[in-house]
Amino acid sequence: MILNYIKIAFRTLLKNKGYSFLNIFGLAIGITCATLIFLWVEDELSFNSNFDKQDQVYYVPTNQNYEGEWRTFYATPGPLAKDMKDDIPGILKATKSSLQERLFAVGDNSITRRGRYADEDFLDIFSLKFIEGNRENAFSNPEAIVLTQKTAEELFGKEEKALGKVIRVSNKDSYLVTGVVENMPDNITFPFDWVAPFDRYGLGEEWTRVYGNNFSDTFVLLSPEANFEIVYAKVRNIIATKADFTDDYAFLHSIKDWHLRSKFKDGKIVGGRITYVRLFTIIAFIILLIACINFMNLSTARSEKRANEVGVRKAMGSSRSRLVTQFITEAVLLAFISVVFSVLLLAIILPQFNLVIEKDLSLGLTNPMHLFVLLSITLICGIFAGLYPAFYLSSFKPVHVLKGLKTTQGSASFIRKGLVVGQFTISIVFIIFTILVYQQIQHAKNRELGYDKDQLLSMRINGDFIPKFDLVQQELIRTGSVKNATLCNSHILSGGNNGSGFTWKGGTDTEDVLISFRNVTQSFFETTGMEIIEGRGFSSNVEADSSYALISESLAKMMGNENPIGNIISRDEDTFEIIGVVKDYVYGDMFESSDPVLFMHYPYYTRYMYIKTMDGVPVDKALSDIEAVLKKHNPAYPFEYTFIDEAFDAKFKNEQLVGELSQIFAILAILISCLGLFGLAAYTAEQRRKEIGVRKVLGASVSGIVKLLSKDFIKLVSISILIAIPIAWYFIKDWLQDYSYRIEINWWIFFIAGLMAIIIAVLTVSFQAVKAAIANPVDSLKTE
Amino acid sequence: MANTLLSLNEATRTVNSGSNKVTLLDNINLQVKEGEFISLMGPSGSGKSTLLNCIGMLDSFTGGGYTFLGEPVHSMKEKNRSKLYKEYIGFVFQAYHLIDELTVWENIETPLLYKNVKSLERRGLVADMLDRFNIVGKKDLFPIQLSGGQQQLVGIARALIGKPKLILADEPTGNLNSKQSTEIMELFSQLNKEGVTIIQATHSEKNASYGSRIINLLDGKIV
Repeated sequence: MILNYIKIAFRTLLKNKGYSFLNIFGLAIGITCATLIFLWVEDELSFNSNFDKQDQVYYVPTNQNYEGEWRTFYATPGPLAKDMKDDIPGILKATKSSLQERLFAVGDNSITRRGRYADEDFLDIFSLKFIEGNRENAFSNPEAIVLTQKTAEELFGKEEKALGKVIRVSNKDSYLVTGVVENMPDNITFPFDWVAPFDRYGLGEEWTRVYGNNFSDTFVLLSPEANFEIVYAKVRNIIATKADFTDDYAFLHSIKDWHLRSKFKDGKIVGGRITYVRLFTIIAFIILLIACINFMNLSTARSEKRANEVGVRKAMGSSRSRLVTQFITEAVLLAFISVVFSVLLLAIILPQFNLVIEKDLSLGLTNPMHLFVLLSITLICGIFAGLYPAFYLSSFKPVHVLKGLKTTQGSASFIRKGLVVGQFTISIVFIIFTILVYQQIQHAKNRELGYDKDQLLSMRINGDFIPKFDLVQQELIRTGSVKNATLCNSHILSGGNNGSGFTWKGGTDTEDVLISFRNVTQSFFETTGMEIIEGRGFSSNVEADSSYALISESLAKMMGNENPIGNIISRDEDTFEIIGVVKDYVYGDMFESSDPVLFMHYPYYTRYMYIKTMDGVPVDKALSDIEAVLKKHNPAYPFEYTFIDEAFDAKFKNEQLVGELSQIFAILAILISCLGLFGLAAYTAEQRRKEIGVRKVLGASVSGIVKLLSKDFIKLVSISILIAIPIAWYFIKDWLQDYSYRIEINWWIFFIAGLMAIIIAVLTVSFQAVKAAIANPVDSLKTE
Repeated sequence: MANTLLSLNEATRTVNSGSNKVTLLDNINLQVKEGEFISLMGPSGSGKSTLLNCIGMLDSFTGGGYTFLGEPVHSMKEKNRSKLYKEYIGFVFQAYHLIDELTVWENIETPLLYKNVKSLERRGLVADMLDRFNIVGKKDLFPIQLSGGQQQLVGIARALIGKPKLILADEPTGNLNSKQSTEIMELFSQLNKEGVTIIQATHSEKNASYGSRIINLLDGKIV
């Protein structure tokens, strides 16, 4: 029986090629789209899942209070890890750690890799799996370093063993390879290429041993029997018991939340990427829904063609349930063909999609889970899409259809219209959302930054470079390719390096204000294009400037009526006289207002060099000139740099991703909806063939008939617009809530989106309408 | 004396058309014995098709009694009724009503599928039927590739495959030319001789004359 169904389904498909194409293509696009999203979601959900002990591993962030609000930092005091392990029963292992980049050299082969200086417990917390060496001896030597397999191979080649070999690090130290561990996958939150004992990094440094300084990434491993609530309460108290000068407190952040729930507000988790994971999962189902709606619409629209078959089969003794089974089998078969198409489509699209989302997803059809999901999608789509047509078609009475009576289409056509409205509503919401996300990104990008990001390069300072800077700067300028260069302790786009506890004249409760410190050289403001709006900049004499500072505009505003120039700002024993005010610049979160800044003339402890290239000099030439100078003064280090404007664009990655995906989905939703509309228009035109013929004979014009046929559809799309606007408005408002620097929602966006939908619908429908209108009435009036 | 196949007792069929109640069949009394060949005659709209559909249980009477092989159809549940006609009744339509997507073989096979006949047995039955109607060569063709007469032949073969006691034929030759018509009617009388009861609706006196009894209908009444 089922074979008979499949056979007839195939023949029906072949006989109605256009209709089958619309159905299969629409469904295939929907399934492709949903599959892409599910692959992305799978990747997001699997972050950090490669580590064992998922229920026991925690990161320890700190909450710090500024101006009445708790702000969460991924930094803890150095001694915290050891104190937690010693004082809190239930914490089995704990490590402090610091992410660092180091230059490794073996013979002529040198590479820069990021890794962690950490305590021995790090190896257990992350259950590192040793390929060479073993866990016991890994950290027994103070010169030890453990490499990932990939790094080991890059340094020593595939054949050679790395264990026991010596690596030259940063051109001055020697590290002994005591272990090689399995590679880390890409989807982990805290990636590393190597691990070395912490003491090598911070031994004897005062700042690693006090509670007053937060720098460490602290990880802990709870005992499997530990009571989380009790441990958590103790973790919360521990900083207070060790240091009475701060109300900072530490807490536990589970490894399962690192990736998806890592957005904090007022000290609490408020979400994170999970929002997008949920959003896109919903979108996947919505797209599938749109595709299924197409199927239902096209199937019921052409019901008259199938009605006869239903009648005959019933007269031959078929029960209704058998007909329902037949039609659902047909739908499932169609869904199955769609999936096959979709897999082909995916093979083409997936690489492009990977570029957009910057991941390395693969379809992985050998993975039983993937096959299962794909199969489930097929079945669910087939059954869901086939159910309504099946019940509708099988309800026909043989007496009526066999006599060739018109089936009463009232309810079906109402539902069909409702489904079209639903499809277009979703499409229009997508269009509006796409436009607004794009606007919001542009809005933030075009924001007054406070500095000039063009032709500005940044590079990390390596080796013994700072004392040579003045010379380097002069030589760079002498090449003619460089306008100026400067040093700074922080990346111009990033936050960090901040503190509170400052006082100044004219301010009350100022200790709570979080201020970022920027150690810079004299040329900083000129190089970056920041504007000094009051007072003066630094002199050329570092010593003479040691008690002077510049402040940002927002800090000057906090001083109220007090003239900022000449005001004294101080913390503990540090006191600075303010000599200038710098226009505010945007750093950290590009959608927020940035914290106030204190600039000091202090080239030491700087980590970045910024170089502004000369206008009109080709980039290639400027880069090769700069490289020549740096190779001369810092020959051991590779020439690595980033353009600030590119780094700036990268700051919008999340929003960009949402924008691009939203755009893709908008296009797909529209495309699928139009396929459906196209099919419906074709059937309407066919049904009204006779009417059109009569009207033409009576003198109706082609344009009049096109209008007549398009009118109904335009009405439906208009209803969709009215429904879509409030829905879109609600979602957009919710989304924008996350950004304090955001656009106003303009009414014209809704207008444009609506207009687009109408135009697309008119183009789709009018093709069929024109075809019907120009047909010769003689043909359509000649009955049977 | 042959057994009574079916009997109608004051059977009535009305429909509501707007606010009017229209009577399609009015107090029909009819007894059909096994082996009869009845021709229903009458002008268009006299109720021939309605009567056939009601007897064939595709439609149902709204009043009166209908007994088929001693069972009261009028008080039967839909499920039992469908079981009854699946077992005992075959239909032949004016417009043939073959399924376009199925081959000749598959069209004939369809009723057997709904009766859950096993595959091997189905093959035998269909092959016999093709043989008997001399259409073995056409078994893999689709209806559209056949002439009207050939299509109706397939339609009759399909009606017969379930070995029904009763064949209901609604203007079986209405779409055929006279030569094809004669062939089909010859076939019917041959079947009738083999013991199949036939009720046909027809406009043609000539076709009606093949039957053993003629019933004239006018405005839903037997005259």
